[in-house]
Amino acid sequence: MRVKAIWQYGKVYIILLIGLIILSVIGWRAMGQQSFVRTALSGLTLGALYFMVAAGLTIIFGLMDVLNFAHGAMFMIGAYAGWQFYTNPTFLFGLAPLVLALVAGIVVTPLIQPLAMRWAVPARWQRTLRAVVIVVAVILIIVALLGLDVRGLAKTAMVATMVDPLAEATPQEPLAVFWKRPLLFFLAGLLIALAQARPGDRTQVIRSGAAPRAIVALVGFVLLTVAATLTRESGAISVLKMNADARFFLSLAAGALIGAGIGAAIEISLVRPLYVRPTFLILATMGLSFVLRELTQLLWDPLPYAMSRPPLFSQPGKAASILEWFSKHTLTVEIMGVTFPSYRLFIIALGLAMFILLMLVMNYSRLGMTIRAGVQDRDMVEALGINVRRVFTLVFALGAGLAALGGIGAAPFAPVEPVMGDRFQMQGFITVVIGGMGSYSGAAIGALLLGLARAFGDFLALKFSLTPAVSEASTVIIMALVLLLRPAGLFGKKE
Amino acid sequence: MDAILQVENIHTFIGQFHILQDVSLTVERGSITVLLGRNGAGKTTTLKSILGLTPPSEGRVIFDGQDIRGRRAFEIAAMGIGYVPEHRAIFRDLTVAENLKIAERRRGDLDRKADFIFGLFPDLKRLYRLPGNHLSGGQQQMLAIARALVPDNKLLLIDEPSNGLAPVLIEQMMEAIRGLSATTTVLLVEQNFIMASQLAQAYYILDDGKTVHSGAMADLVKDKALIHRYLGAVGESVGGER
Amino acid sequence: MASQSKSPKRFAALDSLLQGLKRSRGSLLVLAVLILFPFVFARITGTSVNEGPAKYWQGQFIAVFIMAIFAMSYDLLLGYTGILTFGHAAFFGGGAYTMALFLTHVAPRFVKTYRVSLPGGLDVTEPSAFLLAILLVVVVSLVLGLLFSIVSVRVKGVYFAIITLAMAEAIHILSKATDFVKWTGADEGLHGVPVPAWINPTQYRLRFYFIALAFAVVMYWLARRIVNSPTGRIFVALRENESRARMIGYNPALYRTIAFVVSALIAGLAGALFSVWTVSATPSMTSAVTTVNALIMTILGGMGTLVGPMLGAAVLEFFGQFLYQWFGARWPLVFGIIFIVLVMFLPYGIVGTWRLRSAQWKRRWSLRKQRAAAQE
Repeated sequence: MRVKAIWQYGKVYIILLIGLIILSVIGWRAMGQQSFVRTALSGLTLGALYFMVAAGLTIIFGLMDVLNFAHGAMFMIGAYAGWQFYTNPTFLFGLAPLVLALVAGIVVTPLIQPLAMRWAVPARWQRTLRAVVIVVAVILIIVALLGLDVRGLAKTAMVATMVDPLAEATPQEPLAVFWKRPLLFFLAGLLIALAQARPGDRTQVIRSGAAPRAIVALVGFVLLTVAATLTRESGAISVLKMNADARFFLSLAAGALIGAGIGAAIEISLVRPLYVRPTFLILATMGLSFVLRELTQLLWDPLPYAMSRPPLFSQPGKAASILEWFSKHTLTVEIMGVTFPSYRLFIIALGLAMFILLMLVMNYSRLGMTIRAGVQDRDMVEALGINVRRVFTLVFALGAGLAALGGIGAAPFAPVEPVMGDRFQMQGFITVVIGGMGSYSGAAIGALLLGLARAFGDFLALKFSLTPAVSEASTVIIMALVLLLRPAGLFGKKE
Repeated sequence: MDAILQVENIHTFIGQFHILQDVSLTVERGSITVLLGRNGAGKTTTLKSILGLTPPSEGRVIFDGQDIRGRRAFEIAAMGIGYVPEHRAIFRDLTVAENLKIAERRRGDLDRKADFIFGLFPDLKRLYRLPGNHLSGGQQQMLAIARALVPDNKLLLIDEPSNGLAPVLIEQMMEAIRGLSATTTVLLVEQNFIMASQLAQAYYILDDGKTVHSGAMADLVKDKALIHRYLGAVGESVGGER
Repeated sequence: MASQSKSPKRFAALDSLLQGLKRSRGSLLVLAVLILFPFVFARITGTSVNEGPAKYWQGQFIAVFIMAIFAMSYDLLLGYTGILTFGHAAFFGGGAYTMALFLTHVAPRFVKTYRVSLPGGLDVTEPSAFLLAILLVVVVSLVLGLLFSIVSVRVKGVYFAIITLAMAEAIHILSKATDFVKWTGADEGLHGVPVPAWINPTQYRLRFYFIALAFAVVMYWLARRIVNSPTGRIFVALRENESRARMIGYNPALYRTIAFVVSALIAGLAGALFSVWTVSATPSMTSAVTTVNALIMTILGGMGTLVGPMLGAAVLEFFGQFLYQWFGARWPLVFGIIFIVLVMFLPYGIVGTWRLRSAQWKRRWSLRKQRAAAQE
């Protein structure tokens, strides 16, 4: 009975484990210890990266049935944001006040709402009014950006030499010229808030307690905007002065946060109106990924950049073991007779940490509980009095944040370029299809399988003097095989 | 008398289908009211329309003195309406504990209500740590009702609690629902006429998306012709409603 | 009408033909304009039909014709059958590469070793080699279409969209893999494909113009016939509600396969013609960008209208050029933003919105008339 139950629940795991062990033994014998271990470690590195892309993708799909084609773009944005923050944060610090000012404007929605909804706007003009207000807001934003040398700010990190970080510090626009930009952004935010308050629509419910929270948020964001405006230069300089390792870990956090913020903005503006039209939702995210890629291309040229590794992973020499690396911070580590770059081990650790974090969130937090419940029955979650829409926004932000974190993790290892998003997105898609949509553990196993398959495929391709392109194309065959056996992926919910 | 819920002439469309075509009903505070009708008459849709899951396009839904039509489902639920959907729709991937915990509207709801809930459904205490999909049909139904009891709800919408349950369990379920009506109001959809007639004080009959009859349960029990006309053979409760 | 129905049968046939012509007078008008265009344009600009701006604009139209047919084939899947696939570039690129590879590597040898002549002694070796190439394109397209439809039987919805994307991506990767550089030219692609002299697009531009136009007309007519046939109506039924179509007794797998094969065939032929037109086959033809182009043309013109995607192709090809000159390197960015705006605010496209609006106006007009009549 017991054995049968275990078999029932874990048969996929068991079969996979046995298959992997058999393949490993064969591989070990045929390839020899050195190349086997090296290839396996490379596969784990790739797998960790694929997981970071796939994790968000799979949760978003599981809860909202949204196939997010802009997920790769989030990965790319994370990489760029992290690279900028680490190399020269002038660009980020220069734009931060504007974004904060916009948000400060938007958060006043609950304050405007009770007034605006009472306006006597005829029902058939309400939509038009909202559209006009939004258009004016967009025009304000464009006006606010006129004359601001965004590309110049963006280019600062491209010429960074990293010899003397302070030499990179670039002057920002003087405050006397700059001050009106955040102000205009704030006004644009207010207009968006007005549109969100749906003037004339009296069916809205005013939630008690929303107004005081809005005031707190408004004051907070205005203060942040002012602070960010004043510290545009000094902030960037103090980040550059910082210990490089600390700056690296800070850039991980900054990249993830920026990704999460953009994710939330995308969900609210672009995805939410289209939940009722799933095909168009796919198309809209596709268009968005296109726009984001072109935007980065415009700002940073289509060239690949190499982000330098933080000193923690770049001291000359070789550590005899992982333990020794902790004291020496060397570029490479010796593992089972193989010399392996320590940064790649860090990527594996990052992927593992992300998996554990996700597992904790999904299993032990209220958000995770709500997500698991919502994957199964969204309406029932709503019927319990939970604002599912807000959960959607949170999950979208979480997914985008995870992808962005993956991107910045990948930046010192893979070239930072506009097309990196598309490349990783394709692998992320294949990963979630193998693992099964909606299951994060499925994504982990799919990523592991795909990463190993790629690494060993490359090895084989090299051996038969083929190019890696052939092994890349052959991953599709793995996916096709899995889908033929299990049409919903290894751990997917039945469609 | 004091009505906690008044539904006035609501119309609901699902896609292009005009499912509810003029439904009106009143639920008195502290009572058990039952919605009767054939499969496809619109009973489930009526419950979902009250809750805003399938928002009505016309009419008024007045709950506790406020017109709630057009509000989002979570806002309506948070005003104090609990929903027990048909087919025992619990969250199968969540444990019993999580199924109850997720229904909390304020921190500590579950701790406060635990004794009451386990008093009604002692089985759940034993099964507390098990995943929902390990539960039997009757246990799942109990969990679904228990879930609606975690927060302080003024009104419970219960859809076909007896559907697919063994007779012993139906008996137990009836006891539980009767126990509830001491503290809250219940609007029940039920195919099992015997169960419905023993529980409810008032009834509404839906046919083709319209309310066609209503009154006190005691009167309906006597009117065999009416029962036969709208409900078919008495006491049969086979199959669910779409 | 009553008198006509009594008339002899041969008149009835003529009659229905006339009726048909009357119904499609819009299309016929467009066709007439397109046939006359090269001559009228040459007359206006005062140049010969085969040089200068006349030649240039013929070229523009040729590209539009081909892309229009490609977009239309995509509409058969997305608009009519409701299948979202991201693998359409595989068909287009497959056709293009088949044609180019055959003409580059096989046809010369074929011409050298074999002689094909008609009974009258007319040597048709070269045309028959070209015919063989077209046949091969048809076969390859059918095989690709079947391959995709086999997958679609087993895998549904989003999984299907992803797997088609991945399959097309695999073909794209292989088309630019350096392993096959000898045959495909890898990243560079095949250039200067030795197309038969009589169809050479630079030399006989006007001839090619009419070939492309004829191709477009035939393909459109074919698609129209299919869409209006009972089979086409089952496509739409599948799109609206698959389980209901299944319940009525239609086999979804069969009809999806038909849709795929027809669509793949049309797209493949369009690709083949495109490779002849550009005398090249490059990896960009198999890339996701090609699929996205078809997708955008379809959305822009209006899904499920056949004419819409063709119109979308024309708009995109013509305006795209102007806008590209305007915005320069920023054009793709602006283009993406326009696409998002379209998807969000104009989901039915140009033709779809037009039909919707005109129907609304008609209804409003008739209502107003009725009301006026009632008042009197």
